Amino acid sequence: MRQIINSMRALLSILAIVSCLSLSGQQYLTRQGILTFDAGSPLEDIRATSNSATAVYDAADGKLGVQVLMTSFEFRRALMQEHFNENYVESEVYPKAVFKGVYKKDRAIGTLNIHGVSIEVDVPATLIKAGDTIRLNASFVVTIADFGVAIPRAVANKIDPQAKITVDCTMQVR
Amino acid sequence: MKPLLVPLLFLCSLAAQAQESDLFDVFEEDTQHEVVYATFKGTQLINAVTNETPGEGVLQFMMAHRFGSFNDEYLYNFFGLDNAQVRMQLDYGVTDRLNIGMGRSSFLKVADGFIKYQLLQQQQGTRTVPISITLHSSTNYRNARYTDGIDHTMSDRFSYMHQAIIAKKWNRKLSTLVSPSVVHFNLVPTAQDPNTTAHITLGARYKISNRMALTGESTLLSNREFSSGERYTTPFALGVDIETGGHVFQLHISNTRAMNGPYWMARNPYSATNGGLFLGFNISRVFTVKE
Repeated sequence: MRQIINSMRALLSILAIVSCLSLSGQQYLTRQGILTFDAGSPLEDIRATSNSATAVYDAADGKLGVQVLMTSFEFRRALMQEHFNENYVESEVYPKAVFKGVYKKDRAIGTLNIHGVSIEVDVPATLIKAGDTIRLNASFVVTIADFGVAIPRAVANKIDPQAKITVDCTMQVR
Repeated sequence: MKPLLVPLLFLCSLAAQAQESDLFDVFEEDTQHEVVYATFKGTQLINAVTNETPGEGVLQFMMAHRFGSFNDEYLYNFFGLDNAQVRMQLDYGVTDRLNIGMGRSSFLKVADGFIKYQLLQQQQGTRTVPISITLHSSTNYRNARYTDGIDHTMSDRFSYMHQAIIAKKWNRKLSTLVSPSVVHFNLVPTAQDPNTTAHITLGARYKISNRMALTGESTLLSNREFSSGERYTTPFALGVDIETGGHVFQLHISNTRAMNGPYWMARNPYSATNGGLFLGFNISRVFTVKE
């Protein structure tokens, strides 16, 4: 009888350890993801990079999320960066851009929220596993007007109404 | 020990499960930490200097006019345009915080050089700094001839202004500044008059849209009479900022015509009550020299 109890305990311990490891091992996270934004035109170079995007992925159910603080985008021109935050995306009111969805068959499907406007998106993406890390890559285009960001007519020919976004996030096991 | 291990591990696995259900909770931890930007649209509010600097590697050119007064043959002088005072200024952002520049104003033909440094930046988020403090100093040289028949030395022509600009962006619309300032003239009418005077500039801007703002400013302690009978008044100005791309247009009405700190702040002879009101504008354009 005692032997049975002992072996039961051992079994439970192993089960518990396994479940613990497997569950925590399924999630990946980074807070140093790279996100770029390009709405330039032949007349004006409008590009920005953020090196502090947060990306999180759950391998068990395919849930995928990416978030970036708008003020973390760095432009080459200080004034352009100020205008981006102050006049276009209104970072003080809408500080974050967030994607929440799932990764399924080389696509990221979910909701993209920028400037307080949520839009359902379905864009190509890749997740490549290398050891303890998973690298997320995506490149897609958003229509600026869809997110309620107004472009004044005076500068309309300088800004591409279709902004190209690229995502490059190498996530670690959480 | 062993009996404890099993429940502990189960707790651990439960915790992991709980974590999984709130995968996106990690987003809540992304806290905004930033230096507050765009307290004011320009490096000047109207006449008053703001806490803003152009940013590293940015060259700024500023052109300002103060037109003739409403009571000085206003139509004959084509709405004051015929006797406009002009200022041109060129300044450069050595670093994001340090700004140096020079200017030339037609009022008394004053040339000036200035230096400005953001000593303390307003910050929010993980570390809160409620205000910004910016230091600004200018040296001004009067080129206009003296008409008093006295042979003046070169040092007579110099005047200086030093100030600490305490600015705060209260919210996305309202920003204010308080600038304790010291003005020094090497030459004053008589020995009884002070060479050095202290002043306090108050200013505010209120945004009425993303690209437009209302502005206002006034300087206290400037109202004084000198022994020679010259009376100097309290400068004030009201304006509107309009921003388009790399330009900022500032249109305003004020009781001042000089555009150098010591002169508009401590030697303003005009008074709104006897028609000394002037339309004016500042236009700035920035060029990114070094990226």
